[in-house]
Amino acid sequence: MERKQPDLVLIVARSFATKLATPTLIIDANGNLVYFNDAASDVLGRSYLEIGTLHASRWQELFQPRTLDEEPLTAEQTPGGIALLERRPVHDSFVMRGLDGREREITVTAFPLFSQPDEVVGVMSIFWERPAKS
Amino acid sequence: MKIRVWGARGSLSAPGPATVGYGGNTSCVEVELADGTSLILDAGSGIRELGQRLLGREQGELHICLTHLHVDHVEGLGFFGPLWRAGWKLRFWGPPSTTATLRERVSRYLSPPLFPIGLSEAPAEAVFEDAPREPWRIGSAVIEAQMVEHRGPTLGYRIEDEGRVLAYVPDHEPYLTAALGDEPKWISGWALAAGADLLLHDSQYTDEEYLGRLGWGHSSVTHAANFARAAGVRQLAMFHHDPMRSDRELEELYDQVADSLRRDQEPPLIAREGLEVILG
Ligand SMILES: [Zn+2]
Ligand SMILES: [Zn+2]
Repeated sequence: MERKQPDLVLIVARSFATKLATPTLIIDANGNLVYFNDAASDVLGRSYLEIGTLHASRWQELFQPRTLDEEPLTAEQTPGGIALLERRPVHDSFVMRGLDGREREITVTAFPLFSQPDEVVGVMSIFWERPAKS
Repeated sequence: MKIRVWGARGSLSAPGPATVGYGGNTSCVEVELADGTSLILDAGSGIRELGQRLLGREQGELHICLTHLHVDHVEGLGFFGPLWRAGWKLRFWGPPSTTATLRERVSRYLSPPLFPIGLSEAPAEAVFEDAPREPWRIGSAVIEAQMVEHRGPTLGYRIEDEGRVLAYVPDHEPYLTAALGDEPKWISGWALAAGADLLLHDSQYTDEEYLGRLGWGHSSVTHAANFARAAGVRQLAMFHHDPMRSDRELEELYDQVADSLRRDQEPPLIAREGLEVILG
Protein backbone atom coordinates (compact mmCIF):
# COMPACT_ATOMS: atom_id res chain seq x y z
CA MET A 1 0.00 0.00 0.00
CA GLU A 2 1.24 3.50 -0.90
CA ARG A 3 1.28 5.30 2.44
CA LYS A 4 2.49 8.74 1.35
CA GLN A 5 0.36 11.62 2.49
CA PRO A 6 0.54 15.41 2.23
CA ASP A 7 1.97 17.47 5.08
CA LEU A 8 -0.49 18.28 7.88
CA VAL A 9 -0.27 22.01 7.08
CA LEU A 10 -1.59 21.34 3.57
CA ILE A 11 -4.29 19.03 4.95
CA VAL A 12 -5.42 21.62 7.48
CA ALA A 13 -5.26 24.45 4.92
CA ARG A 14 -7.58 22.43 2.74
CA SER A 15 -10.04 21.80 5.54
CA PHE A 16 -9.90 25.51 6.48
CA ALA A 17 -10.71 26.41 2.86
CA THR A 18 -13.79 24.16 2.90
CA LYS A 19 -15.21 26.43 5.58
CA LEU A 20 -14.31 29.78 3.99
CA ALA A 21 -16.93 31.79 2.13
CA THR A 22 -14.14 33.56 0.20
CA PRO A 23 -13.00 31.89 -3.04
CA THR A 24 -9.86 29.95 -2.11
CA LEU A 25 -7.55 27.71 -4.12
CA ILE A 26 -4.66 25.56 -2.89
CA ILE A 27 -1.66 24.20 -4.77
CA ASP A 28 0.94 21.81 -3.39
CA ALA A 29 4.72 22.20 -3.37
CA ASN A 30 4.87 20.95 -6.98
CA GLY A 31 2.32 23.50 -8.17
CA ASN A 32 -0.45 20.93 -8.57
CA LEU A 33 -3.97 22.12 -7.84
CA VAL A 34 -5.12 20.13 -4.81
CA TYR A 35 -8.28 21.95 -3.82
CA PHE A 36 -10.61 24.88 -4.38
CA ASN A 37 -13.68 25.59 -2.30
CA ASP A 38 -17.31 26.05 -3.25
CA ALA A 39 -16.98 29.84 -3.36
CA ALA A 40 -14.14 29.43 -5.88
CA SER A 41 -16.33 27.17 -8.03
CA ASP A 42 -18.46 30.17 -8.93
CA VAL A 43 -15.40 31.99 -10.29
CA LEU A 44 -13.71 28.98 -11.89
CA GLY A 45 -16.92 27.74 -13.47
CA ARG A 46 -16.84 24.14 -12.19
CA SER A 47 -16.73 22.47 -8.76
CA TYR A 48 -13.69 20.76 -7.27
CA LEU A 49 -15.56 17.45 -7.14
CA GLU A 50 -16.08 17.68 -10.90
CA ILE A 51 -12.45 18.47 -11.63
CA GLY A 52 -10.42 16.82 -8.85
CA THR A 53 -6.70 17.39 -8.35
CA LEU A 54 -4.90 18.71 -11.44
CA HIS A 55 -1.29 18.68 -12.54
CA ALA A 56 0.30 22.16 -12.68
CA SER A 57 0.49 22.28 -16.49
CA ARG A 58 -3.07 21.06 -16.87
CA TRP A 59 -4.82 23.67 -14.75
CA GLN A 60 -2.75 26.36 -16.42
CA GLU A 61 -4.01 25.17 -19.78
CA LEU A 62 -7.62 25.01 -18.58
CA PHE A 63 -7.82 28.48 -17.04
CA GLN A 64 -5.56 30.30 -19.54
CA PRO A 65 -4.28 33.03 -17.22
CA ARG A 66 -3.20 36.29 -18.89
CA THR A 67 -2.07 39.72 -17.77
CA LEU A 68 -4.58 42.55 -17.90
CA ASP A 69 -2.89 43.38 -21.26
CA GLU A 70 -3.66 39.89 -22.55
CA GLU A 71 -0.07 38.59 -22.34
CA PRO A 72 -0.15 34.84 -21.51
CA LEU A 73 1.13 33.92 -18.05
CA THR A 74 3.03 30.73 -17.33
CA ALA A 75 2.31 28.86 -14.10
CA GLU A 76 5.44 30.43 -12.57
CA GLN A 77 4.21 33.94 -13.40
CA THR A 78 0.82 33.71 -11.68
CA PRO A 79 0.60 35.03 -8.10
CA GLY A 80 0.43 31.43 -6.80
CA GLY A 81 3.48 30.44 -8.84
CA ILE A 82 5.51 33.42 -7.63
CA ALA A 83 4.48 32.80 -4.01
CA LEU A 84 5.68 29.20 -4.35
CA LEU A 85 8.97 29.89 -6.13
CA GLU A 86 9.98 33.02 -4.24
CA ARG A 87 8.43 31.99 -0.91
CA ARG A 88 6.70 35.31 -0.37
CA PRO A 89 3.17 36.69 -0.40
CA VAL A 90 1.94 38.17 -3.69
CA HIS A 91 -1.05 40.37 -4.49
CA ASP A 92 -1.98 40.95 -8.13
CA SER A 93 -4.73 40.92 -10.74
CA PHE A 94 -5.00 38.97 -13.97
CA VAL A 95 -7.48 37.63 -16.49
CA MET A 96 -8.57 34.01 -16.78
CA ARG A 97 -11.18 31.95 -18.53
CA GLY A 98 -13.67 30.04 -16.34
CA LEU A 99 -14.55 26.49 -17.28
CA ASP A 100 -17.99 27.80 -18.19
CA GLY A 101 -16.20 29.71 -20.99
CA ARG A 102 -16.63 33.17 -19.42
CA GLU A 103 -13.62 35.53 -19.17
CA ARG A 104 -13.00 37.03 -15.74
CA GLU A 105 -10.69 39.57 -14.20
CA ILE A 106 -9.60 38.41 -10.79
CA THR A 107 -7.54 39.82 -7.94
CA VAL A 108 -5.50 37.31 -5.96
CA THR A 109 -3.68 37.28 -2.64
CA ALA A 110 -1.39 34.26 -2.58
CA PHE A 111 0.87 33.22 0.31
CA PRO A 112 3.21 30.30 0.87
CA LEU A 113 2.35 27.68 3.50
CA PHE A 114 5.42 27.01 5.63
CA SER A 115 5.31 23.78 7.65
CA GLN A 116 8.82 24.43 9.00
CA PRO A 117 10.89 27.62 8.77
CA ASP A 118 12.67 26.10 5.74
CA GLU A 119 9.88 24.09 4.16
CA VAL A 120 7.04 25.29 1.93
CA VAL A 121 4.37 22.65 1.38
CA GLY A 122 2.07 24.66 -0.88
CA VAL A 123 0.34 27.98 -1.52
CA MET A 124 -3.06 29.27 -0.52
CA SER A 125 -4.64 31.78 -2.93
CA ILE A 126 -7.65 33.82 -1.96
CA PHE A 127 -9.27 35.68 -4.82
CA TRP A 128 -12.04 38.01 -5.86
CA GLU A 129 -13.66 38.53 -9.22
CA ARG A 130 -13.27 42.18 -10.19
CA PRO A 131 -16.49 43.86 -11.24
CA ALA A 132 -16.87 43.81 -15.04
CA LYS A 133 -15.81 47.04 -16.74
CA SER A 134 -18.65 49.01 -18.24
CA MET B 1 7.49 -6.31 19.89
CA LYS B 2 5.84 -6.37 23.26
CA ILE B 3 3.52 -3.51 24.16
CA ARG B 4 2.45 -2.73 27.71
CA VAL B 5 0.09 0.05 28.74
CA TRP B 6 1.06 1.92 31.94
CA GLY B 7 -1.44 4.76 31.58
CA ALA B 8 -4.40 5.19 29.22
CA ARG B 9 -6.23 8.11 30.79
CA GLY B 10 -6.45 11.45 28.99
CA SER B 11 -6.07 15.04 30.17
CA LEU B 12 -5.98 14.45 33.95
CA SER B 13 -5.15 11.55 36.26
CA ALA B 14 -8.35 10.00 37.51
CA PRO B 15 -7.75 7.56 40.36
CA GLY B 16 -10.61 6.17 42.41
CA PRO B 17 -13.00 3.26 42.72
CA ALA B 18 -14.91 4.16 39.51
CA THR B 19 -11.79 3.92 37.34
CA VAL B 20 -9.83 1.16 39.05
CA GLY B 21 -10.53 -1.33 36.25
CA TYR B 22 -8.96 0.61 33.36
CA GLY B 23 -6.80 2.83 35.53
CA GLY B 24 -6.42 6.50 36.26
CA ASN B 25 -2.83 7.17 35.12
CA THR B 26 -2.24 9.40 32.12
CA SER B 27 -0.60 8.32 28.84
CA CYS B 28 2.40 6.02 28.96
CA VAL B 29 3.08 2.93 26.86
CA GLU B 30 6.16 0.72 27.00
CA VAL B 31 7.35 -1.01 23.85
CA GLU B 32 10.00 -3.69 24.07
CA LEU B 33 11.45 -4.17 20.61
CA ALA B 34 12.51 -7.51 19.16
CA ASP B 35 16.18 -6.77 19.91
CA GLY B 36 15.41 -5.82 23.53
CA THR B 37 15.55 -2.04 23.06
CA SER B 38 13.17 -0.15 25.39
CA LEU B 39 10.96 2.46 23.86
CA ILE B 40 8.54 4.53 25.93
CA LEU B 41 5.64 6.41 24.37
CA ASP B 42 4.78 9.52 26.40
CA ALA B 43 5.58 10.31 30.00
CA GLY B 44 2.21 10.73 31.68
CA SER B 45 1.76 9.64 35.28
CA GLY B 46 1.86 5.98 34.18
CA ILE B 47 5.62 6.31 33.69
CA ARG B 48 6.16 6.46 37.48
CA GLU B 49 5.40 2.78 37.98
CA LEU B 50 7.21 1.79 34.78
CA GLY B 51 10.28 3.60 36.17
CA GLN B 52 10.13 1.53 39.37
CA ARG B 53 10.11 -1.62 37.25
CA LEU B 54 13.04 -0.40 35.14
CA LEU B 55 15.17 0.35 38.20
CA GLY B 56 15.25 -3.37 38.83
CA ARG B 57 16.99 -3.93 35.51
CA GLU B 58 20.53 -3.29 34.39
CA GLN B 59 21.13 0.40 33.66
CA GLY B 60 21.18 1.32 30.01
CA GLU B 61 19.64 3.50 27.34
CA LEU B 62 15.93 4.31 27.09
CA HIS B 63 14.15 6.07 24.23
CA ILE B 64 11.20 8.26 25.21
CA CYS B 65 9.00 9.41 22.34
CA LEU B 66 6.81 12.35 23.36
CA THR B 67 3.78 13.11 21.22
CA HIS B 68 3.53 16.64 22.61
CA LEU B 69 4.11 18.73 25.69
CA HIS B 70 0.64 18.88 27.23
CA VAL B 71 0.95 18.16 30.93
CA ASP B 72 -0.81 14.79 30.80
CA HIS B 73 2.02 13.54 28.55
CA VAL B 74 5.02 14.78 30.59
CA GLU B 75 3.76 14.99 34.18
CA GLY B 76 5.27 11.64 35.20
CA LEU B 77 8.89 12.66 34.52
CA GLY B 78 9.36 14.16 37.97
CA PHE B 79 8.87 10.69 39.44
CA PHE B 80 10.47 8.60 36.69
CA GLY B 81 13.15 6.66 38.59
CA PRO B 82 15.79 6.32 35.83
CA LEU B 83 15.87 10.12 35.31
CA TRP B 84 16.94 10.55 38.93
CA ARG B 85 19.68 7.88 38.99
CA ALA B 86 23.15 8.40 37.54
CA GLY B 87 24.10 5.81 34.96
CA TRP B 88 20.94 5.86 32.86
CA LYS B 89 20.89 7.47 29.43
CA LEU B 90 17.53 8.86 28.32
CA ARG B 91 16.99 9.93 24.75
CA PHE B 92 13.90 12.06 24.32
CA TRP B 93 12.23 12.63 20.96
CA GLY B 94 9.42 15.12 20.45
CA PRO B 95 7.68 17.57 18.14
CA PRO B 96 9.69 20.46 16.67
CA SER B 97 9.00 24.06 17.62
CA THR B 98 10.08 27.34 16.08
CA THR B 99 10.44 29.01 19.49
CA ALA B 100 12.20 26.68 21.93
CA THR B 101 14.21 23.47 22.02
CA LEU B 102 12.61 20.27 23.27
CA ARG B 103 14.73 20.44 26.44
CA GLU B 104 13.52 23.99 27.12
CA ARG B 105 9.91 22.99 26.60
CA VAL B 106 10.13 19.95 28.89
CA SER B 107 11.92 22.16 31.44
CA ARG B 108 8.95 24.51 31.59
CA TYR B 109 7.13 21.81 33.49
CA LEU B 110 10.17 20.34 35.28
CA SER B 111 11.19 23.58 36.99
CA PRO B 112 9.88 25.94 39.70
CA PRO B 113 7.19 27.04 40.26
CA LEU B 114 5.48 24.02 38.65
CA PHE B 115 7.98 21.47 40.02
CA PRO B 116 10.51 21.97 42.83
CA ILE B 117 13.51 20.39 41.10
CA GLY B 118 14.89 21.47 37.74
CA LEU B 119 15.73 19.13 34.88
CA SER B 120 19.36 20.28 35.07
CA GLU B 121 19.59 18.66 38.50
CA ALA B 122 18.64 15.20 37.19
CA PRO B 123 21.64 12.86 37.51
CA ALA B 124 20.82 10.74 34.45
CA GLU B 125 22.17 11.72 31.05
CA ALA B 126 19.21 13.21 29.19
CA VAL B 127 19.41 14.05 25.50
CA PHE B 128 16.61 15.88 23.69
CA GLU B 129 16.03 15.84 19.95
CA ASP B 130 13.28 16.91 17.61
CA ALA B 131 11.86 13.80 15.95
CA PRO B 132 13.36 13.50 12.46
CA ARG B 133 11.11 14.37 9.53
CA GLU B 134 11.99 11.09 7.81
CA PRO B 135 11.64 7.61 9.34
CA TRP B 136 14.61 6.63 11.53
CA ARG B 137 15.87 3.55 13.27
CA ILE B 138 15.82 2.79 16.99
CA GLY B 139 17.11 -0.68 17.82
CA SER B 140 15.41 -3.20 15.56
CA ALA B 141 12.51 -0.86 14.69
CA VAL B 142 11.87 1.86 12.14
CA ILE B 143 10.08 4.81 13.73
CA GLU B 144 8.03 7.34 11.83
CA ALA B 145 6.71 10.54 13.42
CA GLN B 146 4.22 12.84 11.71
CA MET B 147 2.36 15.93 12.82
CA VAL B 148 -1.32 15.27 13.51
CA GLU B 149 -4.35 17.47 14.13
CA HIS B 150 -4.48 18.50 17.81
CA ARG B 151 -4.02 21.74 19.75
CA GLY B 152 -0.39 22.81 19.23
CA PRO B 153 2.45 20.88 17.56
CA THR B 154 1.65 17.20 18.13
CA LEU B 155 3.11 14.01 16.74
CA GLY B 156 1.72 10.55 16.15
CA TYR B 157 4.14 7.61 15.96
CA ARG B 158 4.34 4.52 13.79
CA ILE B 159 6.67 1.76 15.00
CA GLU B 160 7.51 -1.06 12.64
CA ASP B 161 9.47 -3.95 14.10
CA GLU B 162 10.05 -7.24 12.29
CA GLY B 163 7.17 -6.55 9.91
CA ARG B 164 4.58 -5.74 12.59
CA VAL B 165 3.23 -2.23 13.10
CA LEU B 166 2.06 -0.30 16.13
CA ALA B 167 0.50 3.15 15.59
CA TYR B 168 0.21 5.50 18.56
CA VAL B 169 -1.98 8.59 18.16
CA PRO B 170 -3.32 9.41 21.63
CA ASP B 171 -4.39 13.04 21.06
CA HIS B 172 -6.02 13.51 17.71
CA GLU B 173 -9.03 15.13 16.06
CA PRO B 174 -8.99 13.74 12.50
CA TYR B 175 -12.66 14.61 12.03
CA LEU B 176 -11.72 18.24 11.35
CA THR B 177 -9.76 17.15 8.29
CA ALA B 178 -12.19 14.54 6.98
CA ALA B 179 -14.94 16.96 5.93
CA LEU B 180 -14.63 16.36 2.19
CA GLY B 181 -14.94 12.61 2.46
CA ASP B 182 -12.44 12.14 -0.39
CA GLU B 183 -9.20 10.17 -0.52
CA PRO B 184 -8.03 9.00 2.93
CA LYS B 185 -4.59 10.57 2.39
CA TRP B 186 -6.28 13.91 3.21
CA ILE B 187 -7.23 12.69 6.70
CA SER B 188 -4.76 13.73 9.41
CA GLY B 189 -2.70 10.80 10.67
CA TRP B 190 -3.84 8.34 8.00
CA ALA B 191 -0.36 7.38 6.78
CA LEU B 192 0.80 6.63 10.32
CA ALA B 193 -2.04 4.22 10.97
CA ALA B 194 -2.52 2.71 7.50
CA GLY B 195 -2.52 -1.08 7.73
CA ALA B 196 -1.23 -1.10 11.34
CA ASP B 197 -1.64 -4.26 13.41
CA LEU B 198 -2.60 -2.22 16.46
CA LEU B 199 -3.69 1.42 16.73
CA LEU B 200 -3.83 3.13 20.12
CA HIS B 201 -6.11 6.08 19.36
CA ASP B 202 -7.79 8.99 21.10
CA SER B 203 -11.34 7.95 22.09
CA GLN B 204 -12.02 10.67 24.60
CA TYR B 205 -15.61 11.72 24.00
CA THR B 206 -19.06 10.31 23.51
CA ASP B 207 -20.73 11.55 20.33
CA GLU B 208 -22.90 13.92 22.40
CA GLU B 209 -19.92 15.35 24.29
CA TYR B 210 -18.01 15.95 21.05
CA LEU B 211 -20.69 18.32 19.77
CA GLY B 212 -19.81 20.75 22.57
CA ARG B 213 -16.03 20.23 22.22
CA LEU B 214 -15.45 20.60 18.50
CA GLY B 215 -11.90 21.82 17.90
CA TRP B 216 -10.61 20.85 21.35
CA GLY B 217 -8.23 18.38 19.72
CA HIS B 218 -9.83 15.04 20.57
CA SER B 219 -12.02 12.37 19.01
CA SER B 220 -15.39 10.90 19.80
CA VAL B 221 -15.47 7.11 19.96
CA THR B 222 -17.28 7.07 16.61
CA HIS B 223 -14.56 9.21 15.03
CA ALA B 224 -11.91 6.86 16.42
CA ALA B 225 -13.71 3.91 14.84
CA ASN B 226 -14.17 5.75 11.54
CA PHE B 227 -10.46 6.62 11.51
CA ALA B 228 -9.52 2.99 12.20
CA ARG B 229 -11.77 1.91 9.31
CA ALA B 230 -10.31 4.46 6.90
CA ALA B 231 -6.78 3.39 7.83
CA GLY B 232 -7.63 -0.32 7.61
CA VAL B 233 -6.00 -1.15 10.94
CA ARG B 234 -6.25 -4.71 12.17
CA GLN B 235 -7.20 -3.74 15.71
CA LEU B 236 -8.15 -0.49 17.42
CA ALA B 237 -7.49 0.11 21.11
CA MET B 238 -9.55 2.91 22.64
CA PHE B 239 -7.09 5.21 24.44
CA HIS B 240 -6.90 8.61 26.23
CA HIS B 241 -10.09 7.96 28.18
CA ASP B 242 -11.84 11.04 29.49
CA PRO B 243 -11.06 11.60 33.21
CA MET B 244 -14.81 11.73 33.92
CA ARG B 245 -15.43 8.31 32.33
CA SER B 246 -16.06 5.43 34.76
CA ASP B 247 -15.17 1.82 33.97
CA ARG B 248 -18.84 1.03 33.43
CA GLU B 249 -19.31 3.96 31.04
CA LEU B 250 -16.22 2.93 29.06
CA GLU B 251 -17.68 -0.53 28.60
CA GLU B 252 -20.96 0.98 27.44
CA LEU B 253 -19.05 2.85 24.71
CA TYR B 254 -17.24 -0.32 23.67
CA ASP B 255 -20.23 -1.81 21.82
CA GLN B 256 -20.70 1.38 19.84
CA VAL B 257 -17.06 1.22 18.68
CA ALA B 258 -17.24 -2.49 17.90
CA ASP B 259 -20.35 -1.96 15.76
CA SER B 260 -18.69 0.83 13.77
CA LEU B 261 -15.72 -1.28 12.67
CA ARG B 262 -15.55 -3.48 9.59
CA ARG B 263 -16.28 -7.19 9.89
CA ASP B 264 -12.71 -8.01 8.83
CA GLN B 265 -11.27 -5.97 11.69
CA GLU B 266 -10.56 -7.54 15.08
CA PRO B 267 -12.90 -6.57 17.92
CA PRO B 268 -11.53 -3.40 19.55
CA LEU B 269 -9.77 -3.22 22.89
CA ILE B 270 -10.23 -0.77 25.73
CA ALA B 271 -6.70 0.17 26.74
CA ARG B 272 -6.19 -0.42 30.46
CA GLU B 273 -3.19 -0.27 32.75
CA GLY B 274 -1.42 -3.60 32.58
CA LEU B 275 -2.75 -4.51 29.13
CA GLU B 276 -0.08 -6.40 27.20
CA VAL B 277 -0.14 -7.07 23.47
CA ILE B 278 2.55 -9.00 21.67
CA LEU B 279 2.93 -8.31 17.95
CA GLY B 280 5.00 -10.83 16.04
ZN1 LIG C 1 -3.49 14.22 26.21
ZN1 LIG D 1 -2.97 17.02 24.22
